[in-house]
Amino acid sequence: MSFSRRDFFRGCAGSGCALALSGGALGSLALFQSRPARAAEAPRPHPARFWKKLANKRVQCQLCPKQCLVEDRERGFCGVRENRGGEYLSLVWGQPCAVHVDPIEKKPLFHFLPGSRAFSLATAGCNLECKCCQNWDISQSRPEEVDWHWMPPEEVARRAQSEGACVTFTYSEPIVFLEYCIDTAIAAHKLGVRTTMVTGGSGEVDPMKEACKVLDAVKIDLKGFTEDYYRKLCKGKLAPVLKTIETVRESGVWLELVHLCIPGANDSEPEIRDMCRWVKTHLGADVPVHFTRFSPQYQMKNVPPTPFETLIRCRDIALGEGLHYVYTGNVPGIEGEHTYCPRCHKVVVARHGFHVESVNLKSGHCAFCGQSIPGIWS
Amino acid sequence: MGSLAAVATGCSSSCGSTRSAGNSPGSTPASSAAVLKEPRRTEKSRVVVVRAKQALTHGYDADRGALRAMLGAGLAALAGTPDGVAGLRRYFQAGQTVGLKVNGLAGRNAATHVELVDELSALLQQMGIGGHQQVAFDRFASDLTASGFKLNERGDSYRCTGNDALGYEEEPTVMPSTASRLARVLTERVDAVLNLPVLKQHMLSGMSGALKNQFGCIHNPNKMHLDKCDPYIAEVNAVPAVRQKQRLIVMDALRPVVDNGPSYQPGMAEVANALLFAVDPVAMDVVGLELLEDLRKKRELPSLDKVDLAPTHIQTSAKMGLGVGERAAIDVVSIEV
Repeated sequence: MSFSRRDFFRGCAGSGCALALSGGALGSLALFQSRPARAAEAPRPHPARFWKKLANKRVQCQLCPKQCLVEDRERGFCGVRENRGGEYLSLVWGQPCAVHVDPIEKKPLFHFLPGSRAFSLATAGCNLECKCCQNWDISQSRPEEVDWHWMPPEEVARRAQSEGACVTFTYSEPIVFLEYCIDTAIAAHKLGVRTTMVTGGSGEVDPMKEACKVLDAVKIDLKGFTEDYYRKLCKGKLAPVLKTIETVRESGVWLELVHLCIPGANDSEPEIRDMCRWVKTHLGADVPVHFTRFSPQYQMKNVPPTPFETLIRCRDIALGEGLHYVYTGNVPGIEGEHTYCPRCHKVVVARHGFHVESVNLKSGHCAFCGQSIPGIWS
Repeated sequence: MGSLAAVATGCSSSCGSTRSAGNSPGSTPASSAAVLKEPRRTEKSRVVVVRAKQALTHGYDADRGALRAMLGAGLAALAGTPDGVAGLRRYFQAGQTVGLKVNGLAGRNAATHVELVDELSALLQQMGIGGHQQVAFDRFASDLTASGFKLNERGDSYRCTGNDALGYEEEPTVMPSTASRLARVLTERVDAVLNLPVLKQHMLSGMSGALKNQFGCIHNPNKMHLDKCDPYIAEVNAVPAVRQKQRLIVMDALRPVVDNGPSYQPGMAEVANALLFAVDPVAMDVVGLELLEDLRKKRELPSLDKVDLAPTHIQTSAKMGLGVGERAAIDVVSIEV
């Protein structure tokens, strides 16, 4: 398929979602962005995986911890997987509603090919409902409520290759379109194109293990560190997310974590400290952790943006707990956006926003003292 | 909770009342007195249950003659008016555009009967609301056609459309626990809503009735199936556009789905030959639940609370002030036609 100028400008001039997805003028190229709230073409169903048949034409989805029991002609919580006569189908395979070329730093993945580009795509749907979601108009929509393009895996791989980019599944929740992710990642690897995923991590272990076989890097949102937070603000659970994080780490796929700091909701000193201790104990000190700034969105427009001081305090706590690579995000121009060598403390990757200003690494080692810096650098 | 049958037969010693269809609605001393003393409160908590000896033909299709009699008796009894058309005038005004919120999810065997909508539409036309001012709607056009409705935007007959045609509001309506985009049919096209739920057991919420049927006005009901849909059903019903536009509820209990709902499973529908009328969605569901439990008992199915499917959303809705949830405060009027 190809994108017309009309598609491009429609994408650029789309909704507030387009701005959220593109990060404004910070280096994204919006190839296609759905406009919500209009009737779109009916989705094309594709056989789903990770489910089991039950009596009376019911099915149980086994993709995520929701384990939805789905009646005939009904859908699961995500809204993109439908039971038709006892067969479970994905309604978003090959049907992205947002396609952009982003800087990899926007994901953010700071230890994965700095300065490279990510051919980023999303379908409708999500298995959480975060009150702060900045892409709610696609994540909380059904496939038929958004405009989508037919883009089978081989097409994604080819376009990413032509852009010199990796493929990144992002924006909404890739777990709900995992079949498409896996098939696309396989196609991408055949062309030598790398693959990454940005996810909330609310998945079952077996599907996540399968995905890890074909992914090169995963960024997981660790949205809070209490079950109460996940239940009240995300309609989800913390424990499965922690399990996914461990699964990804054990798989050897490159892993980074993001914690969106929401004032009064998940930014207390004890919660941050507990989280950092868990990361160090279960994952090790070398897993990068990003503390990013919240801006009022969706159901949380009444909450103010995160004060800079909060992000700095969270970073200090994490460093104090012994984590090596701790970042602040969504606030360009402060020290927390650079990568520092944990031994000589010099800047090995200097950034400003999503732009990489310098890389002082030699074969994955600090150019100043020779310390190994974990990540995928070439 | 007492059974509906007990209420119907024991009304003389409780808040319910029974009438025959031959009586002029509102003429019995007990109900007249109640209407005169506290007309608004009594009306709001009144649920009229109209039964016919045989309202179905061939086991599924509704008998139009029986429906006409049931509608006339039920509307008149609910509104305290001489006939059904006069009853409708209590709730709708000539010239308004009225949404007919049907339930088309489960296909022809477990949807709001088309014949019921046809007959109600005819009564609305008689009171001055033309076909072009009536809009039957539910979430998907495909569901409506699968349920026997004809999509229609022209002619003298009522309009019929899926929410997917006109779409949803661009901005979400934020509720305490969740958020949804409301159907534009509800927010932009209609002035008032006549809610036409089907009485069904529901494997997620326990029961589908007047309150649950409003999930058809939002874009994301799948997000609200957690925790037995509670408090989401109540919160959706508390949204001003939903609450304020709903003027009347006519529940299709001609052949309720008593188990394995909300979809239709062969053998899981039970003929009840009943229509229920109310303006209070909570009271309607309290009485609907009694009927459902009676039908389940008849089949030796366990009570819903025994299988952890008590529809808690009904009392949550009552606590939120959406209607009367206390059984003793509901005036159940039973009519045989």
